[in-house]
Amino acid sequence: MKKMAVIVSLSLTAAVLAGCSEQQAGGGSDTAAADGACDPSKVRLVGQVRNESNPYEASWLTGGDTFAKSVGLTQERLTYGGDSTKQQEQISQILAGDTKCLVMNVLPNGDSDTAPIVKGADQAGAFLVTQWNKPADLKPADYKTWLSHITYNGEESGQQIGDALAEKIGSGGIIALQGVLDTAAAKDRFKGLQASLAKNPDMKLLDQQAANFSRAEALTVTKTLLAKHGDKVKGIWAANDDMALGALEALQQAGKTGKVAVAGIDAVPDAVAAIQKGDMTATVSSDGAWQGGIGLAIGFCYATGKLKVADTPADDRAFFAKQFLITKDNAAEFAQPKTDPADFECGNVFNRKVGPLT
Amino acid sequence: MTVTTEVAPAPRRSSRRGASFRDAGPPVALIVIFGVFAALSPQFRSFGNVQNIVDSAAVLAVVTCGITFVLMMGSIDLSAAGVMGASALTVSLLVANNRNGNDFGFFGILAAVLLGCAFGCLSGLALVLLKVPSFMATLGVSAVGLGVATLMFAGVQPNISDAALKGWAVERFLGFSYLTWIAVACILLGWLIQRYTRLGRYAYAIGGAEEVLTLSGVQVRPYKVAVFALAGAFYGLGGVMVTSQLGAGLVQAGNGYDFSAITAAVVGGTLLTGGRGGVLHSAVGVLLVMVLTNGLVQVGVSPYWQGGVEGVIVVAAVAAAVIPQRRRNQVVK
Amino acid sequence: MNALEVRGLVKHYPGVKALDGVDLVVRPNEVLGLAGENGAGKSTLLKALVGLVSPDQGQIFVRGQAVKLRNVVDAANHGIGMVFQEQSLVPNLTAAENIVLGSEGAGVRRGIYRWNEMRRLAQEQLDKIGSPIDPLARTDTLTFAERQMVEIAKVLRIEQRSQHPPVIILDEPTSVLESKEIETLFAQIRRLREFASVVFVSHRLDEVLDVCDRVTVLRSGQSVGEVATAGAVPRELHRMMIGSTGSDDHYHENAATPVTADQPRLSVRGLSGKSFHDVDLDVAAGEILAIVGVHGSGREDVCRALFGAEPTTAGEIRMDGTKVDLPSTRAACAAGIGYVPAERKIEGMVGSMSVADNMTLAKQKPRLTGPFVAPKKQAALVDSWIKRLSIRTPRRDTAIGRLSGGNQQKVVLARWLIGGDVKLLLLDHPTRGLDIGARSEVYRLMRELASSGVATVLLADSLEEAIGMADRILVMNDGRVAAEVACPSGGKPSPLDLVKEMV
Repeated sequence: MKKMAVIVSLSLTAAVLAGCSEQQAGGGSDTAAADGACDPSKVRLVGQVRNESNPYEASWLTGGDTFAKSVGLTQERLTYGGDSTKQQEQISQILAGDTKCLVMNVLPNGDSDTAPIVKGADQAGAFLVTQWNKPADLKPADYKTWLSHITYNGEESGQQIGDALAEKIGSGGIIALQGVLDTAAAKDRFKGLQASLAKNPDMKLLDQQAANFSRAEALTVTKTLLAKHGDKVKGIWAANDDMALGALEALQQAGKTGKVAVAGIDAVPDAVAAIQKGDMTATVSSDGAWQGGIGLAIGFCYATGKLKVADTPADDRAFFAKQFLITKDNAAEFAQPKTDPADFECGNVFNRKVGPLT
Repeated sequence: MTVTTEVAPAPRRSSRRGASFRDAGPPVALIVIFGVFAALSPQFRSFGNVQNIVDSAAVLAVVTCGITFVLMMGSIDLSAAGVMGASALTVSLLVANNRNGNDFGFFGILAAVLLGCAFGCLSGLALVLLKVPSFMATLGVSAVGLGVATLMFAGVQPNISDAALKGWAVERFLGFSYLTWIAVACILLGWLIQRYTRLGRYAYAIGGAEEVLTLSGVQVRPYKVAVFALAGAFYGLGGVMVTSQLGAGLVQAGNGYDFSAITAAVVGGTLLTGGRGGVLHSAVGVLLVMVLTNGLVQVGVSPYWQGGVEGVIVVAAVAAAVIPQRRRNQVVK
Repeated sequence: MNALEVRGLVKHYPGVKALDGVDLVVRPNEVLGLAGENGAGKSTLLKALVGLVSPDQGQIFVRGQAVKLRNVVDAANHGIGMVFQEQSLVPNLTAAENIVLGSEGAGVRRGIYRWNEMRRLAQEQLDKIGSPIDPLARTDTLTFAERQMVEIAKVLRIEQRSQHPPVIILDEPTSVLESKEIETLFAQIRRLREFASVVFVSHRLDEVLDVCDRVTVLRSGQSVGEVATAGAVPRELHRMMIGSTGSDDHYHENAATPVTADQPRLSVRGLSGKSFHDVDLDVAAGEILAIVGVHGSGREDVCRALFGAEPTTAGEIRMDGTKVDLPSTRAACAAGIGYVPAERKIEGMVGSMSVADNMTLAKQKPRLTGPFVAPKKQAALVDSWIKRLSIRTPRRDTAIGRLSGGNQQKVVLARWLIGGDVKLLLLDHPTRGLDIGARSEVYRLMRELASSGVATVLLADSLEEAIGMADRILVMNDGRVAAEVACPSGGKPSPLDLVKEMV
């Protein structure tokens, strides 16, 4: 029944969207704000994420608020509960209003959700920054007001924590807990581990198992692998923090807390706390607060004319942003999300670019 | 036919009460699979690993115990995931934790189990009063459970610090974790309910021939609700056990347990159509599934192959288990 | 005082008057037979007596008191219990549980089973009928007859409820029993009479006359007569049941055509399987061959093997001289063999599907245009067969389960006829559970098919039926063909001739 409802509303949305875009396509393009036409006080800032109950996305919205406050505006906070249909409904509702000086910082639910958002915004002339998800063949450079797409290099983070493990254990065996095997994140992060293994020949991969990004599965798999390899296991590489936390529980049940190094990715608060405590070795943060602010900042800079699309190099339109390795040394800094206003100045908005999106 | 048949068939007295040949499939499959893995991997047959298998099976065993009663009745229950999530959050917020000052200890656990029971009741009532098929009713209750869990979650994961509850997963008695002993107690309790209580016998009978019960003047509906409530209580306990294992209340505490439990029950010889099988069958099924997942890791099957290999073996095990029944059916008709 | 009395009972169903003022009297300690064709209102009357149907008009008196029976429990509290036609036992419970089901009494204390007490309670009931069944045996391990004993024991439990001699209704209890088992059952009924009243329902007049003291005949929802069985004439009862004296030619022997073919249509040599060995048989076109034998003689399995439904280990099967291989039922269909199974409701038809769908289940071609079902083609085809076989159904898309047994059987038969290519029909108890009128119709159809050249193998419901219908009879014993008896019109053997060979 639920499925049915989703299908019905999906098709309804599709119909509505189609109707909208045709209408807009007719005479809409000249209403689009030319670069720099907006009065800074008239800019409308919208931040959209899945839900606020997730600490990472909550910090994203907080970052957006902080930025909005710094330019004397408020951010409209939207959450769609991980429901693609709801996300599209919210977007089309926003776009149906005044879109002249609209800036949107959006976390698309999945790759396939990006295209309709981009097309809607483009036709309405709204400034859009997307993060994390987009299909490879959809490029901001082909659009006028889709300013940028920001994402993170999973290979890099996978390698960073691999290196951190190697540094911690020196030499010995590790086991790897993979994510859902057919997702890009799992593949990239594991590729990063392999690069790290190549770089650190003293560290050996004893075994690798999929625990599907789940804390509970990681617990079971880790217990099994500990039974299989015993004391040879010196470190545990997990493709996300949830699995790392599951592995920590398994270590505790085996009486090995602190004797085996554990590293994960995502910097969830529990993991950062575990690092501060010394139970965990490392995690990687994408800096959610910065993500929430930067999307709005980029849009704001273009809307107010401080930056011009024509002058922006293609590399800035889609890039990997810098991520931060968190270890015991700097864990305290990441315990509470915060932002640096300097990051959001128009001259600095692309400073965290570490490479073009490949 | 009045004159046709003068000779009655030879009277046959076969084993009638105890376990018969047709119940032997799953245990035999368990022994065979265990034997194969033990031969292939020395780590697999180590006591540490056997301990690990049994400990890992604990939560699934408790959940399967609950679902078995529903399956015996010929209904299906997909509410485990949601109920476990809600119970996990409930217990983690009621025992000592990092979110609030509660420290109700055992009563927190009891509350979580009762919450599970209430959710089960809800499924049962939707089934008998609103005539919603159990498949949909329990799916809905699962969604409600997840919703309640999400509300309680409220953005910050409650980590438990209650020593007793954390101890369930860590402390050991005779080499096995407390969780394992809890699971053993649940199976025993389940077996007693199934064998010696009206609830258990009627659940079994409802799966066998519900109309007959009605024709015999038995009010079936209260028993159906009670069976779902019983199952819900087991899921609630399962949620508490997962919380003890993970040290935190997770909304996804019951993720995947619904279908794993059904798989385990069916592998153990409980029929989805009801009326056959039982708690002990399911316990064997749970062990079979756990031995399989553990064994595949131990012998080093690549994670990319595991899912497929596991599926093939499960189907083969079920096929092997029903061979005795198949032959029997042919004799009958 | 009468144990049970029914006055002017009326029950309407949409479009049908199932009961039209029935009167019935059951005296204490007597066995009352209730006879009537299918559709005469027997089932509705019985359901009214146990509270499953509430009558529109009329009254039921129990021991002189007018009562209103709301449900089965209510009826049981008044001392009326019924052994249902479809057995009403829970197969996966023990016999003891079934016997006390719904009134466990001391067997269950606070929801906890006390197996010893349970066993004792059940044994008490089983002792009443002198049955040696182990009360703790699982019901589905018992034989059919044993299960019936359990049912009777279960019904006897109502004695404990009402503190009065019970009225026990047996609805078609013999329909699936072997004759030895029927004898046991009759012995039980006579024993029951000592302390209870019995209403015995059967469509077999010989049984009714055998076991009952009195017979009430129902026709079209009314009681049309009451006869004491002592000295009663079956023909008289027949007349009452169907409204006129049935034709003497029950088996339509006049329509039988002599067999002339020189080459057998079906020729089987040395066929062996699990329960039969070295079976030879021939059937010519237009011939009806009956196979008789006791339970366990292997005749059912031979029949199924000829349809490819039972594996064989040796032997060959030829159709019109050509060797055929029957690894599956599909191959048999393709070879022009049709099979009417004994278990009509389970194997013969799909109860919830329409008459049309059931009829076109096996032979798809006549209703198809290319790969698609052509509704018009199907409608015309089905309607023509409904007419030809005079199947009484409201519409072609009525669910077959709502038809009477005889009409259901005709649809099942039609399934093989619509293709026009059936050469051999295997009829496994084709008249089981049918009343006289419907039987006669099926016999007429069989004759018609035979004269159109179809070869028939018949597993008859009774020896009389085999003798009446067959041109030749094969007697099977212990998996082998024991004898072959010619059975031409005018030179029929006696049942005794056959029984000699059977045991």
